[in-house]
Amino acid sequence: MSLIEVNHLYKEFKIARRQEGLGGALRSLFHREYSTRMAVQDISFAVGRGEMVGYIGPNGAGKSTTIKMLTGILVPTSGEVRVNGLVPFQERQKNARQIGVVFGQRTQLWWDLPAIESFELLKQVFQIPDARYRQNMATFSDILGLEEFLDTPVRQLSLGQRMRADIAASLLHDPVILFLDEPTIGLDVLAKERMRKFIREINRERGVTVILTTHDMNDIEKLCRRMILIDNGRVMYDGELARIKEMFGKERVLIVDLEGEVNGFSIAGAEVIKQEGNRKWLRFNREAVTASQLINHISEHYEIRDLTIKDPEIEVMIRHIYEKGIGSYEGACL
Amino acid sequence: MGTFKMYLEFSRKSFQRAAAYRFDVWTRIVGNVLFLFMWGFIWYGLYHGKSSVEGVSFQAMLGYILVSQALQGIHGAGTPLWEIQERVRTGDIAMEMLRPYDYTTRMLFSDFGGIAFYFITAIVPLYTVLFLVLNPVVPTSLVQLGLFVVSVILGYFIRYCIELTFGLFTFWLVETGGVEDIFYFSISLFSGSVIPLWFFPGWLEQVARYLPFQAIFFIPNSIFVGQLTGPAIWYAFMNQVIWLLVCYLILRLVWNRASMKIVIQGG
Ligand SMILES: Nc1ncnc2c1ncn2[C@@H]1O[C@H](COP(=O)(O)OP(=O)(O)O)[C@@H](O)[C@H]1O
Ligand SMILES: [Mg+2]
Repeated sequence: MSLIEVNHLYKEFKIARRQEGLGGALRSLFHREYSTRMAVQDISFAVGRGEMVGYIGPNGAGKSTTIKMLTGILVPTSGEVRVNGLVPFQERQKNARQIGVVFGQRTQLWWDLPAIESFELLKQVFQIPDARYRQNMATFSDILGLEEFLDTPVRQLSLGQRMRADIAASLLHDPVILFLDEPTIGLDVLAKERMRKFIREINRERGVTVILTTHDMNDIEKLCRRMILIDNGRVMYDGELARIKEMFGKERVLIVDLEGEVNGFSIAGAEVIKQEGNRKWLRFNREAVTASQLINHISEHYEIRDLTIKDPEIEVMIRHIYEKGIGSYEGACL
Repeated sequence: MGTFKMYLEFSRKSFQRAAAYRFDVWTRIVGNVLFLFMWGFIWYGLYHGKSSVEGVSFQAMLGYILVSQALQGIHGAGTPLWEIQERVRTGDIAMEMLRPYDYTTRMLFSDFGGIAFYFITAIVPLYTVLFLVLNPVVPTSLVQLGLFVVSVILGYFIRYCIELTFGLFTFWLVETGGVEDIFYFSISLFSGSVIPLWFFPGWLEQVARYLPFQAIFFIPNSIFVGQLTGPAIWYAFMNQVIWLLVCYLILRLVWNRASMKIVIQGG
């Protein structure tokens, strides 16, 4: 049996509709109109012990909603969730002992007190034995460099430091599963890198199963073999990242800067995927047309000032999947 | 046992937090004393040289407002109303649901911590001096003092339940200023914290006697200055215990509804 099982999960939010004016405000005291919003629809997946899965999607895709249902703080509208044998919302406290959670935009630390005080509090809350607590603190401090700010009040920490403290806090009680909701949001490149290194390490060394949401493709590229791509509350793709790369492996992107006035730009054998003024991004299949052929085509009609050829970025691949669906892509390309 | 130690850790952390905001304590104590003197002078003026009004001596009235201000200082040291409103507004309340403890109990122990700091560093030294200097009516026996303390503790729990309940109304309202106003108005008027119920006009006294607020300050204050004696004290205790049960049940009910709302509607 998998560690995490999600079957046909739905979450519908009821949103009270605001009514116009004073009359509306009065009416809404007695009778409210609601609209509904499907944040998650028919999502199913399973995650095995020790896996590290990237849960990807644009803003509003339903990532946080899914994580909340997995942690038990949100009740599904329908469908089934099991986390290590527990139904999270029915046994929320028991579930809380076996999971660690970090919401990138929130903190579980006491704002006004030095970070160390929050760790000590968690030690009591989860009744962590002394020896284990010291051991964990030593390990985390080592990788995350916590000592430099353990005695600083949390409100004075930089975002990067706060996130480091937060992730350490979520792991103190040796959870089996770690849920990270946008753990790198707002961090600078270096801080992101450090965070990723730590996540990789606890997954590898401690066998902690990790589910992480992000809309930063670099996170996925550096961390996860498997990704679940969602959009509008639905799963668009669930599988190895490598497979997507392979599917797009024959693809190249040609970026050209053109001279002069350019209207209605199009070139046979390539697809314009992005334009910024006279800079055009063209995607082409290198088995169907070579780069030099393509450049020749273009220079017949336009003057080229500059050009680069690139492997498609994961971001581009994913945007493509969002727009066309994975199915259409597989058919067309493989 | 382990659970109790865990909750106690919350008291410790709040104590430390209060210590980190020492300056806050000093400004609050200044406000507290200013109000004390304001009420002192008002009552002095109202007594107008008379030795007693409705059977209450001025020295007893002085004892009443002194003990009342001291208790209000203690009650005001914690800020559960404000804290819960913040947590709901920011959505941090969800983080509390991810912990293996009861939120309302943990808040209570946090409140203890803040109160303990304020009590030790401000209330005790200041009011010891004030009582010695102003020489008001105080309990004349250890029994009376003991009954007073029991009554204070019951009153504290009642206020805690009411305040948290009001705080939880945040879940259902967009604008919460009104809730705060109603809470602070009711507690300052009906609790007898500034005007004892025996000076209320008859109809208002009747209203106040059927509300829970009088069980917070009026009863302990009256025991303190000896206005409540003999079997009347036992009736007063019964009144407090019943109100505590009622307020606690309401708090649990509202909290259950609120947590339902979090887990169904996402806060
Ligand atoms: N508590 C809520 N009430 C109403 N709508 C919500 C609530 N939480 C989320 N939503 C809506 O559900 C959708 C998914 O939200 P979310 O899971 O937060 O997305 P993501 O984390 O992928 O950015 C969004 O359209 C959002 O507006
Ligand atoms: Mg989100």
